[in-house]
Amino acid sequence: MKLAKLAFNNIRRTPMRAGLTAASVLIAAATLSVVLALDRGYARAVKSELVDKTGVHLYITKENCPIEAASVVAQGGLSPLYVEESLVAVAQSTEGIAAALPFQLFAETTSDGTRTDILMGVTEAIREVRPDWVIEKGGWFEDGDSVILGAQIAQIELAKVGDKLYSEKLDKEFKVAGILRKNYSQDDGMIFLPLDTAQRLVKREGRLSAIAIKLADVGAMQEVTTRLRGSIAQDYSVIGAKELSEGILGFFAATRMIMFVMVGVAFGVSIFGIVNTMLMVVMERRREIAYLKCVGARREDVLRLITLETLIICLAGGVGGILAGAAVTPAAGSLLRGTLVGYVPAGSIAAPSAGIALLSLSVAVAAGVLCALYPAWKAASIVPMEVLRNE
Amino acid sequence: MNSLIALENVSKLYRRGSEEVHALDGVTLDIAEGDLIAICGPSGSGKTTLLNIAGCMDHASKGLVRIRGEEVERGGERRLAEIRQSLIGFVFQQFFLIPTLTVEENVELPLLFSHRKAERARTAELLESVGLGHRRRHRPGQLSGGEMQRVAVARSLINEPKVILADEPTGNLDSRNSKAVVELFEALNSKGIAIVLVTHNADLAARCRKVVHLEDGKVVG
Repeated sequence: MKLAKLAFNNIRRTPMRAGLTAASVLIAAATLSVVLALDRGYARAVKSELVDKTGVHLYITKENCPIEAASVVAQGGLSPLYVEESLVAVAQSTEGIAAALPFQLFAETTSDGTRTDILMGVTEAIREVRPDWVIEKGGWFEDGDSVILGAQIAQIELAKVGDKLYSEKLDKEFKVAGILRKNYSQDDGMIFLPLDTAQRLVKREGRLSAIAIKLADVGAMQEVTTRLRGSIAQDYSVIGAKELSEGILGFFAATRMIMFVMVGVAFGVSIFGIVNTMLMVVMERRREIAYLKCVGARREDVLRLITLETLIICLAGGVGGILAGAAVTPAAGSLLRGTLVGYVPAGSIAAPSAGIALLSLSVAVAAGVLCALYPAWKAASIVPMEVLRNE
Repeated sequence: MNSLIALENVSKLYRRGSEEVHALDGVTLDIAEGDLIAICGPSGSGKTTLLNIAGCMDHASKGLVRIRGEEVERGGERRLAEIRQSLIGFVFQQFFLIPTLTVEENVELPLLFSHRKAERARTAELLESVGLGHRRRHRPGQLSGGEMQRVAVARSLINEPKVILADEPTGNLDSRNSKAVVELFEALNSKGIAIVLVTHNADLAARCRKVVHLEDGKVVG
């Protein structure tokens, strides 16, 4: 017979208790795997949408802080910060810049408060800067009152090219000039309109939210950034798309911290549960452990036995936890999406992986080893005759 | 006959709060190969303490314990465990069978700690010898008290001990099962295994070749 079999049989003696203890590990491991998957998924989605997909390499913004700049781009709200439109010409004339896209972002919430649309005023430069921004149906703006809809919003509005859309808040009717091809980014949920119309609607003629820049050669980013900084006033900032995505992730930090605190609480509760269970096991089996020592079990044999029993419980809970985590991660992603403040990626923010599963399982097993230490030491310290004499 | 376990002027002192209890007081006893010894005496006379010290499960406060001439106090816990594995088999009044293991797994349990490979034929042979060959796949909960004690005896034999130390082995058994267990011990003794029994049972003591009477921790006869 193997020690593992003995340990497994011992666990089977109190299935309800072992099951509940494993369930607490399951909850902790599932929480960890979900949180890690969301953390990874959000970072990946932000990077994918703002760095990899957009084709934008740099932004010119007003504030010398990437997080503030990120808020301009991400939140869609009308930031008090703005960039003078005259900088577009400066950017276009800078060596190494392939295209410069001036844009004005603002958000409009429906009167019943159920939906917020993000509107973006753009010029034709968007076609050069954003290769994934493709009009699938219809065409470019026909006049100042026309809009191009993202694929998702067109679907929600059941809008076709030529349809009229009325904005209660703006008290304005727009004509749908085009519908974009779905590109699984924030574009899908946005409404695009001519830049000067957007500026007029928010009463910021000649002013922009920011300027998006595409470089002729990405390898020259450092030189172009330096060149641009030399050409614009000190209170403007030139930031890379990567920095921008990092700034947006900074908004996520508080949510992230709360999620990891939840993981910590789940593991804390679980650890107390395991230690308590294993101490009860040791106390209840004192005579049996004493007897095992009588028949030749050494201190290390008892240590191994109790540790193994704890590990089996934690392993079962850990495996269950990563399976449960994988099952609930998509739902948790949708839940998180609804509560996110700031940039909400269009793509999935749930990204479970084998690495996360392995890490969650490893943490559960490590917690098991940690929890086993004290009960196992108590068991190994049993002096057979004291127990057999007194009990 | 060769001495297996020798206790020389052994005393054992327990502290119960501020009170000192002399569980054993200058006991000398030699257990040789093939012995059949009964240790008798009233409750609290030190019978179990004597058995435990002889079985390397407890340390003497004074005196010497030699196992085949080796002073056990000089060995650490590992050495004592080795002695228990290789030389001594234990049988207790409570059977200490693991309820989730089968009879044959319970019998093989000590092999787990002596790192010897279990041989099912040897287990079967032992269970046959205690009359439980047909019960090897049963769980302890399916056995009577007498059967459980016979499993405990089979388990004590798995490491091929030279001596079996039995503490009140018939204390929980009815007369029929007690008789079966006693006959089993006699059969083992006839094969050369030394048997030391702690018992209150006068009939059982009468069947032993040597009887040690203890009173207040001292050998009185």
